[in-house]
Amino acid sequence: MAEPAIKRSDESNKIVDEGIDKGIARLTPKKIEQVINKVLAAETGARLKTYVGTCVHCGLCSEACHYYLSHDNDPKFSPAGKVKQTIWEILKKKGKVDQKFIRDASRIAYTECNLCRRCAMYCPFGIDIAYLISIVRRLCHMLGVTPLYQQDTAHSHSATLNQMWVKEDEWTDSLFWQEEEAQDEIPDLRIPVEKEGAEIFYSVIAPEPKFRAQLIYQAAVIMNVAGVDFTMPATPGWDNSDLCMFTGDYEVMGRLKKAHFETAMRLKVKRIVMGECGHAFRSVYDVGNRWLAWKMPPIPVTHAVEFYYELLKEGRIKIAEKYDKPVTFQDPCNIVRGRGLHDKARYVVDALCEEFIEMHPNREHNYCCCAGGGVINAGPPYKMKRIEGNKIKAEQLFAAKTRGAKVVIAPCHNCHGGLEDIIHHFGLDMELHFLGDIIYKIMEKPV
Amino acid sequence: MHDIYNFVSGPLVWVSFIIFFGGSLYRLISMAVLAKKKDVIVYEYMSLKYGLRSILHWITPFGTVKWRKNPILTIVTFTFHICLIFIPIFLSAHIILWKESWDISWWYISDTTADVLAVVVIASCVFFLIRRIVLPEVKYLTSVSDYIILAIVAAPFITGFWTYHQWPGFKIMGIIHILSGEIMLAAIPCTRLIHMVFFPFTRGYMGSEFGAVRHAKDW
Amino acid sequence: MGKRTLIIYMVITLLVCIFAVMSGYSQEDVTTVEDSAFEEKMRPTVQFLHDEHNEAAEIEEECNVCHHVYEEGKKVEDESSEETECSECHTLNKGDNPLSLVKVYHLQCKGCHQKKKAGPIMCSECHPR
Ligand code: HEM
Ligand code: HEM
Ligand code: SF4
Ligand code: SF4
Ligand code: SF4
Repeated sequence: MAEPAIKRSDESNKIVDEGIDKGIARLTPKKIEQVINKVLAAETGARLKTYVGTCVHCGLCSEACHYYLSHDNDPKFSPAGKVKQTIWEILKKKGKVDQKFIRDASRIAYTECNLCRRCAMYCPFGIDIAYLISIVRRLCHMLGVTPLYQQDTAHSHSATLNQMWVKEDEWTDSLFWQEEEAQDEIPDLRIPVEKEGAEIFYSVIAPEPKFRAQLIYQAAVIMNVAGVDFTMPATPGWDNSDLCMFTGDYEVMGRLKKAHFETAMRLKVKRIVMGECGHAFRSVYDVGNRWLAWKMPPIPVTHAVEFYYELLKEGRIKIAEKYDKPVTFQDPCNIVRGRGLHDKARYVVDALCEEFIEMHPNREHNYCCCAGGGVINAGPPYKMKRIEGNKIKAEQLFAAKTRGAKVVIAPCHNCHGGLEDIIHHFGLDMELHFLGDIIYKIMEKPV
Repeated sequence: MHDIYNFVSGPLVWVSFIIFFGGSLYRLISMAVLAKKKDVIVYEYMSLKYGLRSILHWITPFGTVKWRKNPILTIVTFTFHICLIFIPIFLSAHIILWKESWDISWWYISDTTADVLAVVVIASCVFFLIRRIVLPEVKYLTSVSDYIILAIVAAPFITGFWTYHQWPGFKIMGIIHILSGEIMLAAIPCTRLIHMVFFPFTRGYMGSEFGAVRHAKDW
Repeated sequence: MGKRTLIIYMVITLLVCIFAVMSGYSQEDVTTVEDSAFEEKMRPTVQFLHDEHNEAAEIEEECNVCHHVYEEGKKVEDESSEETECSECHTLNKGDNPLSLVKVYHLQCKGCHQKKKAGPIMCSECHPR
């Protein structure tokens, strides 16, 4: 195969990713052409055509993208630049592209775009680059060329309906375990499992029971102190995360969201409240429901940020003493550009913290953390690339730090993972917390 | 000369207007039909209120963060586009031709004004050309077609100006002017110049998604 | 510049190829086409050498090819209107859009040139700098 040549020609192709490499090895140009044309014919239409036909090649979207900015304005990383290297070429050649092309396309689509949609606010036409890149991902998925680690999460989703291969008994064990732990602090605390008719189904992403069980603990404390009537299911469907949305495996995405919504229905809850996760919110609120032909989610969905806002506003949790370290706030794309929660988030931060220092740009215009869109899930092979792809975020954080911020609040799991690496790599020496961490720490608790 | 003139100022005008209006209408309808078939989502989420909200911001100079961040480009692109549409419609020479053939007429600008505005358009085209050659992010996206499109748009202004000032060869230039105007009109539905027709829809859709579903601004 | 001024300025502009020339000066050498209804000129006055034109057009004997008279929508064959300014019939009331008069002149000159495939047709051929 022509692989050595590829490796020499493109630096980032030095990254060895078995998922992609083995997938490529199985392909032939004929198969590529067939799959591409089949998918394009079946699944794309007016949007693809209009976006591609309308783009005037003006490059105005470039400065929207943190990859572009972080790579010293390298046009290959501009939003339209990435579309040029993928979709334009595919359409021009009518799907007659070779293995190397698919390899590059897969690299670009999965690891050089977070689908953060910032560029849609910079293109005068509102061309949805994230949608176009999703099409490339869909094609790569159908061709079986996906990053190994990401595909592993997709497999887990498919087999277990959660992202981290958490077995059913491990899940309930984690809940009971966290309940017990928390009872040391609040003796009558409960994590009501399978409580039919509860008001709220509290859903989380699988990394919580797997690695960050203290988040379940904290949420339980907050819920109990606020007197919230909530429940968590014992069955699959408890996980709201969705990496299939990002690999392009929409069939499994549909299964996941169906299980999630059906669990909520089965428990007869009034709404789903989800933990501090951006991509999961996107999946439940914006993407997965659409695949299932629900214009809006069949049952109301509330992100943690909004939920905390309610609790604080209604005085259901009280703050014992405000958090005294100066904080800055990462606006996660998926709940800010994705749900406009920036003002509520600021209300929450102001209610919790003594000093809040804005990052710039902020709100809808905030830079993505570069972990979202499944990029962090593409795993260790791409870690450095991901971190270097967001130098601009490091600069943004550093600027906030010079104005006094010591703590970064990021109410999103991906942001958390992304920012952690950035803070570490660039030696920023800032603390990183979820809102829940801080609420738990400073709220009034029964003694 | 007379034969050519009669041809370009007669049947070819018809042809170009039919291609322009018919073609644009065709592109619009085929987009709508295709969307109905394959992207019903667009109909579901399109919202008049939020679509217009976004469009209004984007057609206002400095009405968006993007426009504010690039003041020079903003000024150039707005004057360019406004003049581009304004001049041919309100040019006295054009209106007289309408009057002669259809006995219709409307308000027009003085030739001096038109002259100045034509220069503005030509200068803007030069700006776009330089930008395309000099800025790496634009250059990267550029193909030959982009230069051709720019030339198609600049041509009626250059040739019109030439003819008006009766520079050498103005008679031929007049004919070329008419031809180039017709080419530009016909090119609109056939090239990326269709952006003029699609702008309200792409922007309106993004505005609807951002406004109605995501409760966020997209400007 | 006021709108009205503009309008008038431009109208004059358009005295393109005037056959339909007027007035009682036909005995003298006519070298331009003018109409008093165009108060201000937008484009330069049209140069028109009456006798040379008619010689070239071979209409020396047929004044009413241009200096026509219409009655009830029909051209009266054996009458002509050399003494009359076009705008006397093709009236231009105050506030009227002078384009209607421009149009009449244009169609008279340019229209005939287009048909006969002879004579000037581009703006600047008649309105030179
Ligand atoms: C469709 C057929 C068209 C015809 C028959 C036509 C005809 C004319 C004529 C007769 C003139 C006057 C030239 C002179 O003064 O000697 C003119 C000038 C001009 N036309 Fe057109 N035109 C057409 C299309 C266009 C288009 C599409 C544009 C621009 C988008 C355009 C822009 C201009 C400009 C800028 C001038 C000169 C203005 C100046 O410098 O004063 N024309 N045109
Ligand atoms: C009224 C509807 C229109 C809208 C909203 C619109 C919008 C835009 C925008 C946002 C751009 C990109 C920014 C820039 O590079 O300046 C653009 C570029 C351009 N437009 Fe339009 N446009 C419209 C009509 C037209 C028309 C009628 C033409 C000519 C027939 C035209 C010709 C161009 C050209 C040539 C460029 C590219 C400049 C370059 O090469 O970078 N536009 N337009
Ligand atoms: S990462 Fe964000 S800004 Fe960059 S191209 Fe993708 S969606 Fe656009
Ligand atoms: S996507 Fe939009 S901003 Fe980017 S090059 Fe195309 S038209 Fe310009
Ligand atoms: S991880 Fe956070 S910032 Fe990044 S894409 Fe998600 S929501 Fe956006």
